[in-house]
Amino acid sequence: MLKTLNPAARADQTLAHNMKLLAHHELAGFGGLGEGISMQLTGDGRRILWLAHESAPKNFSGLDVTDPGNPKLIVQTDLPHMKLRSNSLDVVGDMMAVAYQATTVGIKPAGVDLFDVSTPEKPKLISHFDCSGPYSRGVHALWFVDGKTIHMSSGAPDFQPRNPLDDQFYRILDVSNPSKPVEAGRWWYPGTREGDSTPPPARLPARFDTGFRTHNTNVFPERPDRAFVGYIDGGALVLDISDMGNIKVVSKWNHSPPFNGFTHTVLPLFERGLWIVSDECVQDAGADWPKLVWVVDARNEANPVPIGTFPAPPYDAFAKRGGRFGAHNLHENLPGPTSFRSDTIIIGTFFNAGVRVYDTSNPYQVEEIAYFVPGAPKLSPAGAIQLNDVYVDERRIVYTVDRFTGGLYILELTI
Amino acid sequence: MREPFRDWESREPESGRVNGQRDPLAGKIPVTLVTGFLGSGKTTMISKLVRHPEMRRVAVVINEIGEIGIDHDLVTMSSENITLLANGCICCSVRTDLQETLRDLFARRRAGEIADFDRVVVETTGLADPAPVVQTLVSDSLLAAQYRLDGVVTLVDALLGMSQIARQPEAVKQLALADRIFITKSDMATPEDIAALAAAIAAINRGAKVSTIVHGEVEPGALMNLGLASARASQATLSFLGETLAPASHAAVDAAGGPAGRYLGTRAAAHDPLIKTLSLRFDKPFTWASLSAALELLATLRGPDLLRIKGIVNVEEKPVVVQGVQHIFYPPVALDRWPSADTGTRLVFITRNIEADLIRNLLKAVGEVAGPA
Repeated sequence: MLKTLNPAARADQTLAHNMKLLAHHELAGFGGLGEGISMQLTGDGRRILWLAHESAPKNFSGLDVTDPGNPKLIVQTDLPHMKLRSNSLDVVGDMMAVAYQATTVGIKPAGVDLFDVSTPEKPKLISHFDCSGPYSRGVHALWFVDGKTIHMSSGAPDFQPRNPLDDQFYRILDVSNPSKPVEAGRWWYPGTREGDSTPPPARLPARFDTGFRTHNTNVFPERPDRAFVGYIDGGALVLDISDMGNIKVVSKWNHSPPFNGFTHTVLPLFERGLWIVSDECVQDAGADWPKLVWVVDARNEANPVPIGTFPAPPYDAFAKRGGRFGAHNLHENLPGPTSFRSDTIIIGTFFNAGVRVYDTSNPYQVEEIAYFVPGAPKLSPAGAIQLNDVYVDERRIVYTVDRFTGGLYILELTI
Repeated sequence: MREPFRDWESREPESGRVNGQRDPLAGKIPVTLVTGFLGSGKTTMISKLVRHPEMRRVAVVINEIGEIGIDHDLVTMSSENITLLANGCICCSVRTDLQETLRDLFARRRAGEIADFDRVVVETTGLADPAPVVQTLVSDSLLAAQYRLDGVVTLVDALLGMSQIARQPEAVKQLALADRIFITKSDMATPEDIAALAAAIAAINRGAKVSTIVHGEVEPGALMNLGLASARASQATLSFLGETLAPASHAAVDAAGGPAGRYLGTRAAAHDPLIKTLSLRFDKPFTWASLSAALELLATLRGPDLLRIKGIVNVEEKPVVVQGVQHIFYPPVALDRWPSADTGTRLVFITRNIEADLIRNLLKAVGEVAGPA
């Protein structure tokens, strides 16, 4: 007798529950996409979805998704060389910020570009902020929602980490004059910089040691004095940034050890006093399992308490389906006019387990209410879908991207 | 066919405020119950149905897989009580009871042991009273969290139906609870027999759509989307109320020989004069307190005689869908807006030996006792 009756364990199968595929776009053969998805409402009433590519040769792409069932690629740009990636981007109004990270330290350019995208077909470079340096790979992720400030995970020319894995820390850029961005603040995990008086932090076992560096650095208009930071192996941190020249830690929560590190996103649900914290899976075939999404009670910000995890997709069906299996990006309730926002419904990507939707109304017993797992994209080196990032617009249209070849999947959420 | 994108633009914008909420119904797996008296052709219909190409991602719960005679050629995978067919339909035989089987199906789907399914069709046993099955779906907390009753489909034999209605209370109840009725073996009966049976059915249940089928040939779509599927109001929202309150049509009522008017009050049944459909309308809004008190009182005192209730109620000016079977009510569903300009309360009752005036007076009296909102 066969062990399983579930074709879900086969990577060629598309799985869906309460989500319907409206369109699939392979980005003209460059379907490997990173962690930057943002939507622009243009002056002439179009919706442009901006996507950062996961790796060279492409930089970013813009698609007209006014009709989500019929996306049209309107622009696709190239990187200056193959040792660069533009993993992250955000758009406010007609200004787009793009993050550049090099494959190794010392490579230029590495930093942040600001573009004028008022004519989306022809992005115009406004300025470049250099973050390269002898110990810096540049910028991995950025957050830009107010048109004036960029919060980012970045190295710096003057920053020498004690451990090369700890090269990216929290930096704030003032871009109120877009042609001349200036650093407005920075914070790094105590003990990670050469010369720190604090001893270096205890590292995870070598096979899970992914570094004490920042990933997502989110600041919401509800609390302009707080930065919600996923500090990878340093856990979830909330920083008081009311004085950007003197940033202080107000909350710290880390599940690792005993878990396997890589805290990625800290998403606050302000009215409920909760954080939704996602890990990132970074190893194939379930080697770093479990990588989860956590519910943390943060009513007392000095004492965050984990109260549960999202029900994870079944290990037996997915761990060996190909590539990575586990949590990664969440839709982050961005403040813009085209972003879905919810205090209860959370949407995330889980690599080979697709995009999944959860109802957190009862934070002690989160329910999975929808998912979509595309069949393996053609020529994917993972042999399975690897959904990397997700953005949901206010029409409840879900945009999710594959890390290698699959491109963009546009879905309707029917919950 | 794909909907035009203008539909997306017309949706309620959700930006700017934290209001993205879940539709309480849409996340649940719809369940269709197929009932019918012994010999009414359920097994014939189910065995045709499971082979239909549109049955991909549908789990069909049957009493015995052997009964429907599936060729080995059609079977993709098989375990002790679950068979996956080549068309993607999952056939599942009842192991202990239906409650356990539905729980097991959900748990095994969640654990990744069996194929995904979007819908369940359940064949009930011939003598079964469908009411307890409906009540199980509503009252079992695991089942109620994961499944919702989409509708009850009742099969009735064109030749034997009349005598079953006359003699068997279960047959009458199966018809009273139905959202959709199929007259089977219609090729073996005269048009007059079928018309008489349709009239008898209409006298019991004026809301259900009635059609004839031959040799169990039916499109899967005819068994689906019978109930309320979403709390987001649309043109389809009121279709769950059935023919009684739908704007057009009424083959069944016409077959009964009467005028197909709306809000007719009562219609006497030909064979069991005690069972009838009551359509009531109230223009004054209810309060939550008065509505729930009145329905609870009715269910407490006359639960067994309250075969089916469904309707849209104006509760403090907001539209709320109410459904119940005997003494069990489904959780009320607050719609996001009124589906049409009509904001009046419209309720359909299928009752045994209860007159419309009794219910009307009870709701009115409780409303007066409760006072204004």
